[in-house]
Amino acid sequence: MLQGLKVTTKRSIMTQTEKAGKKIAAKKPVAKKTVAPKAKAAPTVTAPPAPKPVAKPAGKKKSGLAFPFTAIVGQEEMKLSLILNIIDPRIGGVLVMGHRGTGKSTTVRALAEVLPLIERVQGDTYNRTVEEFVEGEELKKGQKALDAASLKTEKIPVPVVDLPLGATEDRVCGTIDIEQALTSGVKAFEPGLLAQANRGFLYIDEVNLLDDHLVDVLLDVAASGKNVVEREGISIRHPARFVLVGSGNPEEGELRPQLLDRFGLHARIITILDVAKRVDIVKRRREFDEDPDAFMKKYNREQLKLQKKIQTAKELLPEVTMDDNVLTDIARLCMNLGIDGHRGELTITRTAHAHAAFLGQKVVTMKHVKEIAGLCLRHRLRKDPLETLDAGEKIDRELAKVLGEAEAV
Amino acid sequence: MIAFTDIVGMDLAKQALMLLAVDSELGGVVIPSAVGSGKSTLARAFADILPEGTPFVELPLNVTEDRLIGGVDLEATLASGVRVVQHGVLSKADGGVLYVDSLSLLDSSAVSHIMDAISRGEVLVEREGLSEVHPAKFMLVGTYDPTDGEVRMGLLDRIGIIVPFTANNDYRARKKIVSTVLGERDLEDTRDELKMLSGIIQAAKEQLHHVSITKEQMQALVQTALSLGVEGNRADIFTVRAALASAALAQRTDVEEEDMKLAIKLVLIPRATRMPEREQESEEMPPQEEPPPEEEQEAEDEEAPADTPDADAEEEQEEEPDMLEELMMDAIETELPDNILNISLASKKKAKSGSRGEALNNKRGRFVRAQPGEMRSGKVALIPTLISAAPWQETRKNDKKMAGRPKTALIITKDDVKIKRFRDKSGTLFIFMVDASGSMALNRMRQAKGAVASLLQNAYVHRDQVALISFRGKQAQVLLPPSQSVDRAKRELDVLPTGGGTPLASALFLGWETAKQARTKGITQIMFVMITDGRGNMGLQAAYDPNAEKASKELIEQEIESLSLSIQADGIAAIVIDTQMNYLSRGEAPKLAQKLGGRYFYLPNAKADQIVEAALSF
Repeated sequence: MLQGLKVTTKRSIMTQTEKAGKKIAAKKPVAKKTVAPKAKAAPTVTAPPAPKPVAKPAGKKKSGLAFPFTAIVGQEEMKLSLILNIIDPRIGGVLVMGHRGTGKSTTVRALAEVLPLIERVQGDTYNRTVEEFVEGEELKKGQKALDAASLKTEKIPVPVVDLPLGATEDRVCGTIDIEQALTSGVKAFEPGLLAQANRGFLYIDEVNLLDDHLVDVLLDVAASGKNVVEREGISIRHPARFVLVGSGNPEEGELRPQLLDRFGLHARIITILDVAKRVDIVKRRREFDEDPDAFMKKYNREQLKLQKKIQTAKELLPEVTMDDNVLTDIARLCMNLGIDGHRGELTITRTAHAHAAFLGQKVVTMKHVKEIAGLCLRHRLRKDPLETLDAGEKIDRELAKVLGEAEAV
Repeated sequence: MIAFTDIVGMDLAKQALMLLAVDSELGGVVIPSAVGSGKSTLARAFADILPEGTPFVELPLNVTEDRLIGGVDLEATLASGVRVVQHGVLSKADGGVLYVDSLSLLDSSAVSHIMDAISRGEVLVEREGLSEVHPAKFMLVGTYDPTDGEVRMGLLDRIGIIVPFTANNDYRARKKIVSTVLGERDLEDTRDELKMLSGIIQAAKEQLHHVSITKEQMQALVQTALSLGVEGNRADIFTVRAALASAALAQRTDVEEEDMKLAIKLVLIPRATRMPEREQESEEMPPQEEPPPEEEQEAEDEEAPADTPDADAEEEQEEEPDMLEELMMDAIETELPDNILNISLASKKKAKSGSRGEALNNKRGRFVRAQPGEMRSGKVALIPTLISAAPWQETRKNDKKMAGRPKTALIITKDDVKIKRFRDKSGTLFIFMVDASGSMALNRMRQAKGAVASLLQNAYVHRDQVALISFRGKQAQVLLPPSQSVDRAKRELDVLPTGGGTPLASALFLGWETAKQARTKGITQIMFVMITDGRGNMGLQAAYDPNAEKASKELIEQEIESLSLSIQADGIAAIVIDTQMNYLSRGEAPKLAQKLGGRYFYLPNAKADQIVEAALSF
């Protein structure tokens, strides 16, 4: 089938690595604007869609405004989980599962507006801090150390990157920049979504429908915090630490167990049964659709207030402490629930710290633990379909036991 | 070409499309209807009443991912040497209509992409080195024949209007349909009628901004949604929109009762998950009295943290809308067909299961996409390989390392190679058929539930699916359609009625139907797991005709016999498990197994795991 086509050997392209490396270094300062996919400059040409001869712009900036986070009615569990992950990204992300049409993706997409700013080396595609940048560049070239002081930095909002189900692996991990190759005849690395998501949020809607090969990639990267790409003679390694946020409807399919385990928190969403609240939702949605700008303005103050509260909590977090007794209780809770491994304890501890910080408190108590235990453990319980008790209830029951014992002591 | 106004019958579907033409934010219209009812003709004629030049894109069922989302245009890329982007079908429908015929047969990954595009209003193209956002705000018009299978709930939920399913039996209307098709209509008339209709819609679009709805009316609609057990908030929003559009069509400034009724009929009733209950007298009673226990707990969870701020809102709500609610209840009751849950699309029983049973692989199934890979690891996708090599040719030809190659040859490197990925459902569908008649039914049901659960635990690994059919009284019933979701199985199998006659033939028939449907979706391996003593005492006729005479023993036996043969001929495996003490048995269960060409297991007081073991051993 491939008769007449030349297939070069690996060796013959090896020597291009050097050239490519140089190019990458040179390419670094090219400013890449934050967040999500964006339009690419020429020479990409858009073919006019067949039915109408009107040419559409080749990709445009994300249109429309996102519904404001603070205008979302109810679903406190999901909102709290997301906020706690902003305060401490090490919590490990949130899986939001629940009924259809309950505002899962609306809420996650609204998140971007209340996120704090982070500092990165100016124009760095990987959103690296000065330290990460220096370390990364040294590794690559083996040349003399970069002078950290000479690097300019800039503040950008924490990136929120949307990973669509139809994404191909090369766009997720990054690949060779074809434009560069065509115009200047050099190979350069075109970073993918994982690069954009570094130090930010990576959001996957309908995560339970994600193709296996992408799940593999995600598991790999999430475990190591690094993305490694070996393509077309280029070898790239870059940090890819992100808060993984997934959402879906459990009835559409199950999530792969390994992926489930990766999520720090698991928020459950159900249909709101309160008429007044539902009417409120309809009214707000209509108001937003009629005049998004006015609606945004109306919620502006609350948005800023929340953003500030999160920022304050982030700053407070290092000062939050936890008594050993509380830790013992957490460990006992996890043990009684028969949770494998230590990720349960670790997640509860971190989440409780963040929760205390969010409430402006410096000491973690069992009250904080109680409020977040369900979020941290729900998906770690062994799944038993014959179990009639809801996972949340089971956790509450064990929690009550642990608390009872603690009081009795 | 038959024009919108020429189509006879399907009045509700027409009304639905007109509402959509007035307010495109309704998202779309789904028309379930039997073969030959003219649903696709109507859908295509929808373009007639839209402003001229509105895109109308028909989605082919076998669409590939890159055609749907967009990607690199090979021809143009090769011709120009510059990468040329090809917009996908979704983006081509931007600002217009995306029409899907046989919506229920659409590949599940395509359904996911459509869902995603609807919720974003655009398509994110993150493929083959492209990173673009293409606008894709379209109205989705879908038609399908419910006997082909169901449409995924996630998709239906995002589409505003679902026309209730009705079989068109009106003799006179049919006659008129035929004469229309034969072209007896005057073209002049048609043109005038269309013109008028377009005018009405245009006027309604302008009127739409001036229509208002009261808070009480909204409350009544939301309350109706609640009492019908409608999931999520999208339906609330769609109902209000539909009512407004209906008022706009009538050139009114206020929403009236008829608008609300229409909205309920087209938006809420098709999404109902339970029959509404008249419990409005006692105001203390929360409306959500009957949901399954799981939901009840959740409801409590939900209410706990958020009680205080809404206290006054709730009080307020109790005063006025009672009247309205009564009215709505009346509306629902008169509109409701006898058995709402059986025809309702949102009924849990009919919801289609997820796509998890599909495995992407390198060897067989339907070609979905090309992916980088080793040449030996699968079939090489030639065209995608060429696409990825195309832009490199200049560079490579100038490369010294490539010197000595003939200038005319394409230079393809290892990294260009793309292999084909196929989608295939490689798992087995286990169809449990549980005899829920007689006194031991409860026991059998428990065992079956356990076995279903146990199989589903490992479903992910094996990509197996499980369905459950129970048979009792006069007919068998699908309690759990093919699914992989543990959560779902848990919920659907929560309450299982038992007792009554043993319609074994009906069970076999329904199992066979389920199997055939699964086959059309690519599941090839199917196994019946029958938990019964094999003594059927109800004829097939009884399942469809309540007045049928009791079938004779011989007839019942004949039915079972011929069904078994057909099932066996279709290559469906079967095991029969008898879990009852056999001192009463006259050997019917082993006979049934023999007829089905399957195996018989006698497992008194079987544990769930034993049943699973038996099923897997075969």
